Amino acid sequence: MSNIIQVKNISFKYSDQPYLFSDLSLNIEEGKWTTIIGQNGSGKSTLTRLIDGLLTLDKGKIVVDGLPVNDENINMVRNQIGIVFQNPEDQFVGATVEDDVAFGLENRQISRNVMRVKVKNSLKEVGMWDFRNRIPANLSGGQKQRVAIAGIIGLSPKIIILDEATSMLDPQGREDILGLVRKLKDEKHLTIVSITHDIDEATGADRVIVLNQGKIIKDALPEQIFSQTQFLKEIGLDIPFTEKVVEKLRKNNITVPSQYMNEEELLNWITELLSKK
Amino acid sequence: MNNFLFGRYLPGNSWIHKMSPQSKLLLTFFFVIIIFFANNPLTYGILICLILLSILMSGISLPYFLKGIQPLIWLIIFTVALQVLFASGGKVLWHWGIFSITDQSLINGGYIFIRFMLIIMISTILTLTTAPLAIADGVQTLLHPLKKIKVPVDTLALMLSIALRFVPTLMDEMTTVMNAQRSRGVDFGTGSLRQRLKSAVPLLVPLFSGAIDHAENLSVAMEARGFTDSEHRSKYRVYHWQNRDLLSAIIFLIIGILVVYFRS
Amino acid sequence: MDNGITFEKVSHIYQPNSPFSHLALNNASFKIEPGDFVAIIGHTGSGKSTLVQHINALLKPTTGQILIYNTKIQPETSNKNLKQLRHHVGMVFQFPENQLFEETVIKDIMFGPKNYGASDDEARTAAKEAMQMIGLESSLADKSPFDLSGGQRRRVAIAGVLAMKPEILVLDEPTAGLDPRGRTRLLDLITNLNQTQKVTIVLVTHQMEDVVDYAKKIIVMDNGRVIRFGNSQEIFGDPSWVKAHHLNLPRSAQFSLALKKNGVKFDRLALTIDQLADKVSNLVKH
Repeated sequence: MSNIIQVKNISFKYSDQPYLFSDLSLNIEEGKWTTIIGQNGSGKSTLTRLIDGLLTLDKGKIVVDGLPVNDENINMVRNQIGIVFQNPEDQFVGATVEDDVAFGLENRQISRNVMRVKVKNSLKEVGMWDFRNRIPANLSGGQKQRVAIAGIIGLSPKIIILDEATSMLDPQGREDILGLVRKLKDEKHLTIVSITHDIDEATGADRVIVLNQGKIIKDALPEQIFSQTQFLKEIGLDIPFTEKVVEKLRKNNITVPSQYMNEEELLNWITELLSKK
Repeated sequence: MNNFLFGRYLPGNSWIHKMSPQSKLLLTFFFVIIIFFANNPLTYGILICLILLSILMSGISLPYFLKGIQPLIWLIIFTVALQVLFASGGKVLWHWGIFSITDQSLINGGYIFIRFMLIIMISTILTLTTAPLAIADGVQTLLHPLKKIKVPVDTLALMLSIALRFVPTLMDEMTTVMNAQRSRGVDFGTGSLRQRLKSAVPLLVPLFSGAIDHAENLSVAMEARGFTDSEHRSKYRVYHWQNRDLLSAIIFLIIGILVVYFRS
Repeated sequence: MDNGITFEKVSHIYQPNSPFSHLALNNASFKIEPGDFVAIIGHTGSGKSTLVQHINALLKPTTGQILIYNTKIQPETSNKNLKQLRHHVGMVFQFPENQLFEETVIKDIMFGPKNYGASDDEARTAAKEAMQMIGLESSLADKSPFDLSGGQRRRVAIAGVLAMKPEILVLDEPTAGLDPRGRTRLLDLITNLNQTQKVTIVLVTHQMEDVVDYAKKIIVMDNGRVIRFGNSQEIFGDPSWVKAHHLNLPRSAQFSLALKKNGVKFDRLALTIDQLADKVSNLVKH
């Protein structure tokens, strides 16, 4: 698999602060779901903005789909990347659902006839076509994020970045959005980068990168990270549900295998354990 | 506050809702100009009939409409009262210190009141029946000729549409902040003027800082969505001039001619 | 009268007699005892926020009445008599960090106590206590709240409510958007207030895990109605009812349901992780 995003030895700081990143390198594989977790202030959202050219690097280089991110390529890079931001309210530009989905298309000067088709198809894909005339004030947070996703897929990018996109949603909205992104990823062979501090959002990932104060302190498969409960606690992250159960079982003197189990695996393990009796 | 209709949009399917925003804007301007030609009971009567017809055609109930602009009516009555009390000329009916009321000032006051009312009512009909974005689009089309003299019409229209889109958001935030500060013991709208001004600070500072946050986030999101400048964009919404626009224009024109003809 | 919260047939209609007219609260009756920890759940738009805003009379009932803290709130109650009530009912709104406005952190926290008649010294002492309680370093006192991180600002805002020493504390999704560490810290603080100072807690939340872990009683809302009022076993013990009202089960309950499906004997659903693990341990050992 090729690396669709290459971050090479980058350094960056905000004007009045110390360096956030110095000499950071990282590759994102095409077609994979990569989750970047870290606490507030770890630099995870800044990284997204650098990748999309919304902030300028002090040193180093970022290459997206073969194109170095610079002033010259910026439009082509942004055509390949769609970002769903944290606050559903603050990315809704249009007066209605339909107008908002059209916003990105209008920016690319796509003709009206093509736009109409794309807006309709994208809204249907995210299940928001029936809401096309709604104004943002009459939508829930999850619905607004769906609209944001429709606005992205209309432009057929290769990469979707979820920049804490579910952190302001209720659990139902969170499930909905993650399910939708998973579906779109499979259908359209997208690369997903999800930035989050929600451990459950990371469970479905192909790879998890833990960022702390601008440094990668872990880069592994989800199951390798999730069983290290001590490490997760230290860096202020939550422990996955199954690990919490396992931890408590061990406290009750039950012997549990040391490797991480997801919900289904734990379920089967317990069922089997009890059936032997 | 909740029933206040001025500047609000009420989705619907009425005759007026379906008119193109450009013609609604033009007719509103036209109506406002005509108001200044009216100067006797007959001409004002004609205009009041037209307004009532327009409200009927907008599908909004009259009592509800009047209740919705009530706060503004008080404002107008206050302005008109000042006008009446300080006017001169005509037969003096009442006199006290620097104040005096004359028959002339009463009549003039009445006319001014009707004028204000008509202007507010026609603009309320416009905003009630036209989505914010459509108004912005209408302005953009109407101001299009100004592009020739380098007026950034597209940018202005986009700014207007985003500003309008954020009105409900900011209203919500205002309600929440007001509630939060009330819980912390603030009495809004009571006490001396100084106290009232003081109680505005805990409301306005959070509102402004919130608005700035929105603006910052929004500008990042817009850039990420490929926005560079407002001149090089295609347009999703296009409005067509239909028969109903033509018919409305004819009615307004006839009324205009009648008013000019019957003015004294 | 005691300091309980009693709702008697309370309804609230937003913008009555208009096209926007909306019945947000429909004939709600219940009683919250002093010192209770009550969670209010229900999906978005079910009337939770409307309900809690009645607790300190930010909204008044359209019909019905509320008895709370020696005050009777009726449709015609005038605003004059409510200040006393609001002093005793602290409200933490969603994203409360958006209500900060003072030049310094300490001044913002002192704002509430001073409005309710505390002297400068009293307010400052109360503010310092509140800062300590919520884990804000005293070095932050003279900083501008606008220079702090999101999590810190949230804590400043909550400290501003705690400094008023409310006897009833209403929190509307106080943990939304916080990172895991901040979330646990805040919920532990609330529990501590409830246990050591007998503060009555009303918590609006979407997190069913928090509900079963922290709350003693639960109010379930659906479409403006209070459809159930009881403890967590009474609410979540009936999964089909929960599902029918578009609510989520806590993860542990979902997990025990799945175990049940696999043939494991579960007479009662486990609602918390502790219950789940204990149940499984017992089954293994016996």
